[in-house]
Amino acid sequence: MEENTQMSMTGTAGTRQDEDRELLPTATAAQTRAAVRELARPHRAAALSGLAILIASTGVGLLTAPILGHIIDLVAAGRPAAAITAPVAWLAVIAVAQGVTAAAGVSFIARLGEGMLATLRERFVERALGLPLERVERAGSGDLTSRVTNDVSVITNAVRDAMPALARSLLTIGLTLVGLAVLDWRFLLVALVAVPIQVRTVRWYVRRAVPLYAAQRVAVGAQQQQLLDTVGGASTVRAFRLAEEHVRLVGTRSRAAVDLALRGVGLVTRFYSRLNLAELAGLSAVLATGFLLVRNGDASVGTASAAALYFHSLFTPVNIALGLADDAQAAVSGLARLVGVADAAPVPAPSPAPAPVRALPAVSLPVRVCGVEYAYRPGHPVLHGVDLDIAAGERIALVGTSGAGKTTLAKIIAGVHPPGSGSVTVDGTEPSGTDRAAAGRPVALVTQEVHVFSGTLADDLRLARPEAGADELRRALERVGALTWAQALPEGLDTVVGENGHRLTPAQAQQLALARLVLADPPVVVLDEATAEAGSAGARLLEASASAAVDGRTALVVAHRLTQAAAADRVVVLDGGKVAETGTHAELVRAGGGYAALWEAWSDNRQAPGD
Amino acid sequence: MPIEGRDVLRRSITGHWRHTAGGSALAAGHQACEALVPVMIGVVIDRAISTGDAAELAGWIAALAAVFAVLSFSYRFSFRIAERASELAAHGLRAELAGRVLQARGGAEAGRLPGELVAVATQDAKRVGAVNVALAAGVSALAGLLAGGVALLRVSVPLGLVVLLGIPPLLLLAHLLGKPLERRSGAEQERAAHASGVAADLIAGLRVLKGIGAEAAAVDRYRRTSRDSLAATLRAARAQAWHDGGMLTLTGVFIAIVALVGGRLAAQGEISVGQLVAAVGLAQFLLTPLSILSWANGEFAQGRASAARVASVLAMPPAVTGGDDVLPEPLQGRIRLHEVTHGALRGLSLDVAPGELLGVVTADPAVAASLLRVLNRTADPSSGVVELDGVPLRTLDPAEVRRAVVVADHDADLFEGSLLGNVTAAMPPDAAPDAAEAAMAAAAVDEIARVLPYGAATALTERGRSLSGGQRQRVALARALATGAPVLVLHDPTTAVDAVTEARIAEGIRKVRSGRTTIMLVTSPALLAAADRVIFVDGGVPAAEGRHVELVHDNEAYRATVLA
Repeated sequence: MEENTQMSMTGTAGTRQDEDRELLPTATAAQTRAAVRELARPHRAAALSGLAILIASTGVGLLTAPILGHIIDLVAAGRPAAAITAPVAWLAVIAVAQGVTAAAGVSFIARLGEGMLATLRERFVERALGLPLERVERAGSGDLTSRVTNDVSVITNAVRDAMPALARSLLTIGLTLVGLAVLDWRFLLVALVAVPIQVRTVRWYVRRAVPLYAAQRVAVGAQQQQLLDTVGGASTVRAFRLAEEHVRLVGTRSRAAVDLALRGVGLVTRFYSRLNLAELAGLSAVLATGFLLVRNGDASVGTASAAALYFHSLFTPVNIALGLADDAQAAVSGLARLVGVADAAPVPAPSPAPAPVRALPAVSLPVRVCGVEYAYRPGHPVLHGVDLDIAAGERIALVGTSGAGKTTLAKIIAGVHPPGSGSVTVDGTEPSGTDRAAAGRPVALVTQEVHVFSGTLADDLRLARPEAGADELRRALERVGALTWAQALPEGLDTVVGENGHRLTPAQAQQLALARLVLADPPVVVLDEATAEAGSAGARLLEASASAAVDGRTALVVAHRLTQAAAADRVVVLDGGKVAETGTHAELVRAGGGYAALWEAWSDNRQAPGD
Repeated sequence: MPIEGRDVLRRSITGHWRHTAGGSALAAGHQACEALVPVMIGVVIDRAISTGDAAELAGWIAALAAVFAVLSFSYRFSFRIAERASELAAHGLRAELAGRVLQARGGAEAGRLPGELVAVATQDAKRVGAVNVALAAGVSALAGLLAGGVALLRVSVPLGLVVLLGIPPLLLLAHLLGKPLERRSGAEQERAAHASGVAADLIAGLRVLKGIGAEAAAVDRYRRTSRDSLAATLRAARAQAWHDGGMLTLTGVFIAIVALVGGRLAAQGEISVGQLVAAVGLAQFLLTPLSILSWANGEFAQGRASAARVASVLAMPPAVTGGDDVLPEPLQGRIRLHEVTHGALRGLSLDVAPGELLGVVTADPAVAASLLRVLNRTADPSSGVVELDGVPLRTLDPAEVRRAVVVADHDADLFEGSLLGNVTAAMPPDAAPDAAEAAMAAAAVDEIARVLPYGAATALTERGRSLSGGQRQRVALARALATGAPVLVLHDPTTAVDAVTEARIAEGIRKVRSGRTTIMLVTSPALLAAADRVIFVDGGVPAAEGRHVELVHDNEAYRATVLA
């Protein structure tokens, strides 16, 4: 009973939260079409050649049925067996020509599709990286991630598998119909009786398939996630005796995915069953027409046979083309979501110099925070008129409970959020202007989010300074105390790390982030890095790394351990969005306020603290 | 006898044998009907079109309709039934695997990453289940071959032999033609997929990139990757296109040969025109069951390999064996370690009195890890004994041990669900009504709930990733406190928590756990200051003991460990 209430509470909260999100834009149909046209423009030559070659290929292939019909007519006319050799030789020639042209045509179509896809994904990544962080956070980073993973892969599959198959099937269908018309226009007319059945079936199918497959993808994702949760947390599950509950959860999620998969199978089988009806109707009509035409002397038995063979050979391409309808639909909606971001995001200003960050003097700069207020939700201010002057090269430790506004203040100084009111200036200018997304900001931010980029360790580091030589990389690693383990990796700095490579420990990943910071060499640094995953021994190590990385820069460090605060030039205690205490560690300890009380546990009480 | 791959495979087929057998029978009917369609076309041409007999036309079209009805029906239900067997078998394996991994005696994950185990429970389970569909498809293909072959041989023995003997070398040729291309194209497809992977990776690291102003460098790098991938994809697509083109040519030449032989036979009056049409149609048709057969064979091979992987997980030996006694009631919560050697522990002896709040400090993470493992019987010590109220843990069922001794590991995971749901997940049914609330207050989770949009009812994303590291630690601590376990072991519960909150939490732990045994395996001065007694373990054995303030003052090594 209680459990049920909890679960439903969770459910509602989840939905409401989703509604709060302001998802990234989706393009309209017209915008999507325009984007596709624009993407196709550079490939027009390949598209036209590919189309021409495929038409030729399919046309050649369609000669097969009339030649078979001709053979039948030769037989019916009682001609000698030798007469058959010539048309058969033609059949072989056609087979070769068809194979060669089909290969060439499909190659051209692939060049068109893949070229467009590559340009689209590049543009998407470029614009997505240019989105203001604030906008991404409002949408939830899951939105962007799902676009770049799910939507890109749906479109990729459509381009790679569906497009060539669809192109060839549609051409085969079109040209077969032309072939039927050439045999006798009445064959074409009756063959079309299948069309209304097919149109209705496809409509019926797409209406059900698109939402069903979307639900199925969600269910499979949920099942995968549950397994990752359960298996990844197996030791926690055992320690807290949650196994029964988790086996039940895995079962429920798996069963939901199975049920949807089976509903999908049911739908597909009904779809093809209905298409069988269209096949039967068309084939009967073509046979009956052949019968009438032959009886009236309007066509030969060979022609009627050719028409029947033509129609029979339509079964497969029609099924392929119609079966791709839902793939096409999914690809179109994925495309709209990609184009939406690619169109909406500002075009990042072309970097004037190859590495503008380096153009700044590698010296520290003063920061002035003046009367800064901020609220994530109107009416719930997090910061109330914070004033703070940080001298060039000064290291400030920010202390306070979570919810005191430490992270918010850090983000505002780093330019992620513009202040609600008040101002932040770095060396007298506002870094949080309109171009705060562009490179060249004087303030770098390292947060508790660690991410190791897939690729070699050296490539990961070079994101911060693309032109850095191997020596520079090693020096940066050495400075943060990471050189030893980095060189001990199987292939040193060339070891592939990240998602599919060598797994770094959370502490190593955090040191890597600090090494990137050293390479980026910004004059002002905001550090809000967590040591949650590192354990207590790791936390101390990271403190030393962070301290080395910010040396010589103006730094604002969100302090998690008081030893960090003790090592800073000045400590600022935030409480309820206001500066409660400020001064050097020794001053605050002597003042005997809240900070001094905290410090007590960290010190040897029997010695006079602070000297 | 340990379970093997072939047992897994056999069970997944026999477990749903009614479905599998029914599906196979219907699928056989479907392929046989498919083979009949070209034969029927030939018959219509011979009996009706060539003769001009309307009654024959009506009769044979009705017969064609009957064939289609059977074809359509058997296709629809064979596929459904076989898929049902496949999905249910996979589902059963998933549940079994989850059960094995979570079994209290453990051992299944040894040496495996979570991702690997998940892949076994999803992809491998699916492939094992899919053997049911492959079986039905294989039976149907054989039925199609049989029906088509009989029909052809009835038309003409020499023509039938040309087709039936011609198809295997044709498929072999196609296989040989495709082999090198497939291998090459597989490798290049992989490189092609790389571009999507890199894009997702960069987006996942968006905040990091923006933090150091590396967007331009990232975009440049992505463009290079994308162009490399494009080149690889185009090479793969070209290889594939030429392979398909080659297949098209081979099939066309084969049909030409059939037409040549059949045409000559027809010209000599050995077979009728309609039979010639049927033979050409059948030659085309028979390629399908043969390719189904080779597909099914591939599925079986994959299914066998997957079944072996599933079996290897199911057959993993448990981490702890023996002992299934239950604990005497009521529990006092006295823990005693006597000369325990395990991992980094070197004959460690400890006594924890009922109700004591004990701090244990060690500079070596390996010592901490070893101690945690023996305390809740995740592992048994290689020598020495761990006792709860005088009962050796080795004699107790591991689940029973964990009912009494809850070990809250430093890297314990949160799960999907609401914040409150996570806190109450491991609460015993007879817990005090305000236990959750008290635990949340003690771990300062009430502060977190206040800033979340829907308070304690707010849903957390997977592993609580929507919270910061410090927030996750506090929720995990509240969950541990809410269990109200007779013995609670806390390992570094506040490393990511700010100092102000940590001091509050230290008070909270004291208050909530008063009267119950609590061991804190930490180096945090704030928490140690709250402990009744602190034991400093150095080199796997106790080196000093006393209150935090005394140890800080008297012991140089202790001071270096907790205050550095």
